[in-house]
Amino acid sequence: MPRKQKRSHRGIERKKAIWGWIFVSPSLLFFSIFSFYPIANAFYTSLFKKDLLSLRPPKFVGLKQYTYLLSSPTFWNSMKATFVFTMGTFVPLVVFSMVFAAFIMSRKRFQKFFQMAYYSPAVLSSVVAAAIWLLILDPRGLANQFLNFIMNTPGIDHKWLATVGMVRFSTILVYFWKYVGYFTIIFIAGMASIPRNFHEAARIDGASSWQIFWHITFPLIKPTTLLVSIVAMIQCLKTFSTQYLFVQSGAPRSPIDVITLNIYFTAIRDHRIGRASAMSIILFGIMLFFTWLQLRVSRSEEVSYM
Amino acid sequence: MKRTVLVFVFLALSLLLLSAGKIELLFWTHEDPNRTEIENRYIEEFESMYPNVTIKRVTYPSRKIQETILTAFAVHKGPDIFNMEINDEYPYIVNQRVAPVDPKAAGYDSLQAIYDDYLAGVLDPVTYNGKLYGLPLELTNWCIFINKKYFREVGLDPEKDYPKTWEEMLEVSEKLVIREGEILKRRGFDFRYPYYLTFLVPMVEQLGGAFLSEDGKTAIINDEAWLKVLEYFQEWGPNGRNLGSPTYTNARKLFNKDNNSVAMCLTGLYQEGRIRADNPDFYNSGEWMVVPFPRFKDAVNDLGSAYYGHYYMVNAESSKEKQEWAWKFIAFMLNHPEEYLTKVGLIQPKKALIESDIFKNIPYADVFLNDMAKSHIITIHERAPMMQDYLKEVIEAVMLTRTSPKVALRVLKMKMQELLEEEW
Repeated sequence: MPRKQKRSHRGIERKKAIWGWIFVSPSLLFFSIFSFYPIANAFYTSLFKKDLLSLRPPKFVGLKQYTYLLSSPTFWNSMKATFVFTMGTFVPLVVFSMVFAAFIMSRKRFQKFFQMAYYSPAVLSSVVAAAIWLLILDPRGLANQFLNFIMNTPGIDHKWLATVGMVRFSTILVYFWKYVGYFTIIFIAGMASIPRNFHEAARIDGASSWQIFWHITFPLIKPTTLLVSIVAMIQCLKTFSTQYLFVQSGAPRSPIDVITLNIYFTAIRDHRIGRASAMSIILFGIMLFFTWLQLRVSRSEEVSYM
Repeated sequence: MKRTVLVFVFLALSLLLLSAGKIELLFWTHEDPNRTEIENRYIEEFESMYPNVTIKRVTYPSRKIQETILTAFAVHKGPDIFNMEINDEYPYIVNQRVAPVDPKAAGYDSLQAIYDDYLAGVLDPVTYNGKLYGLPLELTNWCIFINKKYFREVGLDPEKDYPKTWEEMLEVSEKLVIREGEILKRRGFDFRYPYYLTFLVPMVEQLGGAFLSEDGKTAIINDEAWLKVLEYFQEWGPNGRNLGSPTYTNARKLFNKDNNSVAMCLTGLYQEGRIRADNPDFYNSGEWMVVPFPRFKDAVNDLGSAYYGHYYMVNAESSKEKQEWAWKFIAFMLNHPEEYLTKVGLIQPKKALIESDIFKNIPYADVFLNDMAKSHIITIHERAPMMQDYLKEVIEAVMLTRTSPKVALRVLKMKMQELLEEEW
C-alpha cells in the first residue's frame, strides 16, 4: 500500500476511534458514576466501623471487618444459604429454559402464545411475585391443596415456609418460576440465529429431532448458553426480595439467609454499615470470580457458522 | 434585551419574596386509616390558622417505616416530623438525630409543665441526659380480644371460661381449633409474631426471668424461666400441639373479619376502632370482648404485656424555624386526645384524659389500663431492634426447625452477650 494511502487510511481509523470514544463516553461516565463509584465507595466504607445513625466520625479499622466476617458462623451460614440457593436455582434455570426454548422452536403453531405464557412472570416485580407465592404457600393455600389432591394425601401440611428444607425449596421454586421464561426467550433468540439450512440438511440426512438438537443446535448455541449461565448465576447470587418477604411472613431466616439478606439486616437493622459494605465487596468478588471462570472455561468454544 | 433582564430579575425577586417566610414541614407516619382521617383535618385547620405553613403528611406501612426513616436519616434527608415505636426511635435520641422539645412552641410554660400534663413515667423513655425528645402519640399495651360466638359454639361460656393462664390458653385453644388433618382452618388463639419484646419478654418475667440484668450488662437471666417459655412455644407450634405458627396470617388481621378463621387474638385498644371501621356489624353485635393478658399458673410476677409508645419527634437537622413550627403543629394535634381515643382508639397518656368520663366509657378501656398499671414499658436499648430479631430467631428455631429449647437458648445467650459487650 502506498505510504500516502496508508496514512489517510490511518487517519480515517483515528477519526472513527475518536467518534467511537465520543459516543461511548456518556455511557462510560454514567457507568462509572452508578457502578464503579459505589463499588469503590463500598470498599472504602468497609475499612471503617460506622453506625448508620451516628454523627461521630467513622473509626478506621483496616481489614478487621473482613477478618471478623471470615470467622463469623452467621456469615458462613449465609455463604451456605447462597450456595444452596444458587446451585438449586441456576442449574434447573439453564437446563429448563433451554428445553423450553427447544420445545417452543419445534412448535409450528402457538409459538407466540408459549413465549408469552413463559415470559409473563418475568414482567412482575420480585416483590409482587413473592407476595403471590406467599398466598399460594400459606398452610391453607393452593400449594397444599394441589399437592394433596395430586398425591391423595388430604390434610397434610407440607410446611412450605416452616421447615429448613421446604423453605429453601420454596424460594428456589419462586425464583425458577419467575425467571425461567426470561432465559427461555434468550435461548429462543440464540436458536433462531442458527441458519435453517443446517437443520434442513440434517433432516435430509435422516437425523432424528434429538440428534439434531444434540449435534447441531446445542453446539451452536454455546455463546447463548454462556450468556444465560453468567446472567443466571449473577441473578441467583444477588437474590433478595423473595427471601426478604418470606422472612417477613414468618419463615425461619437461617436456612434462607443469603448474603444479600444478611447485608440488608446488618446495615438496616444493626446499623453496621461498614460490615455490610465488607459483605457486599465479598459478594462482588464471588460474582467476579464466577464470571471470569465461566468466560475462561468457554473461551475455546466460540462458534462460527462459516 | 435590558427590558428582558429587568423582567427576569423582577420575577425572580417576586418569587423569592413569596417563598420567604413560607414553611413546609414534611411529616412521615405509619398507616392507620382512622388516624389519617383526623390528622388530615388537623393539618387543614392548622394551615388555615397559619397560612405561611404547609404540612405534607406521608404514610408508610408500619413494618416498612423503620427502614424508610433510617435510610433517609443516614443521608441527612430525614423528615421534619416522624413517629415510630419507641425502641426504633431510641437510637435516634442517643445519636442526637432528634431535637429536644421546645416547651414554648408546644404551648407549655416550662419543661416541668409538660411532665405535669402526662402520667408519671411515660416521658421517661424519651428523656435523655435531662432533655425531653418526644411527645407521645400513643401508649399501647396488648390484651386478648375474644369472639364470643366461637366460644359458645364449642360449649364454653366466654365470660367465665376465657383463659386466665397460659396453661388454660393451650386447653381453651385446643377446644376452639378446627383442623383439616394438620392444616388449621380455625385457630383458637395465636400470638402477635414477631413483636417478642412486647409479649414474650413479659411471659419470661412472669416466671421470674429477665431479658437484661438491671445494670444492662448481662443478658438472659434465669435459664429455667426462659426454658419454660421456649418449651411452651415449642408445644404451641406445628411440631407440638399445632395450635398456631408465625407462617399463618397474623391473627389480629383476621379477627375483624369474623369469618371463622380465628377465635382470639393479641392486640391493643386501637383494634376496637379498626373493628368498627372494617366490620361495623361485628362491632355492633356485642359478640366480642376483651380480657387481660394471661399469666402463667405459677407466675411469681403479676405482669401484663409490656407497653410501647409512639412518640412524635422532630429532626435535629431541620432549621430552627422549622423545629419551632413542628413542635407547634405536634402540640396542636396532641391537643385532641379525646378524638384520638374515640375515633382511633389511641391512648394519649395525659392525666386529664385518663381521668375523664370519655376514657371510662370506652369499652374495655379499664382492662387495658389495669394491665398497663401492672406492667412496664418495652425494653429500651440502642440495640433493641437487633435484640428483638434474636428473639425471633430463637422462637422460629424451637417452633419450626425442631431445635431443642436448650440449644436455642444457648445460642441466644451467646449472641446477646456478644452484642452487649461489643464496643460501638
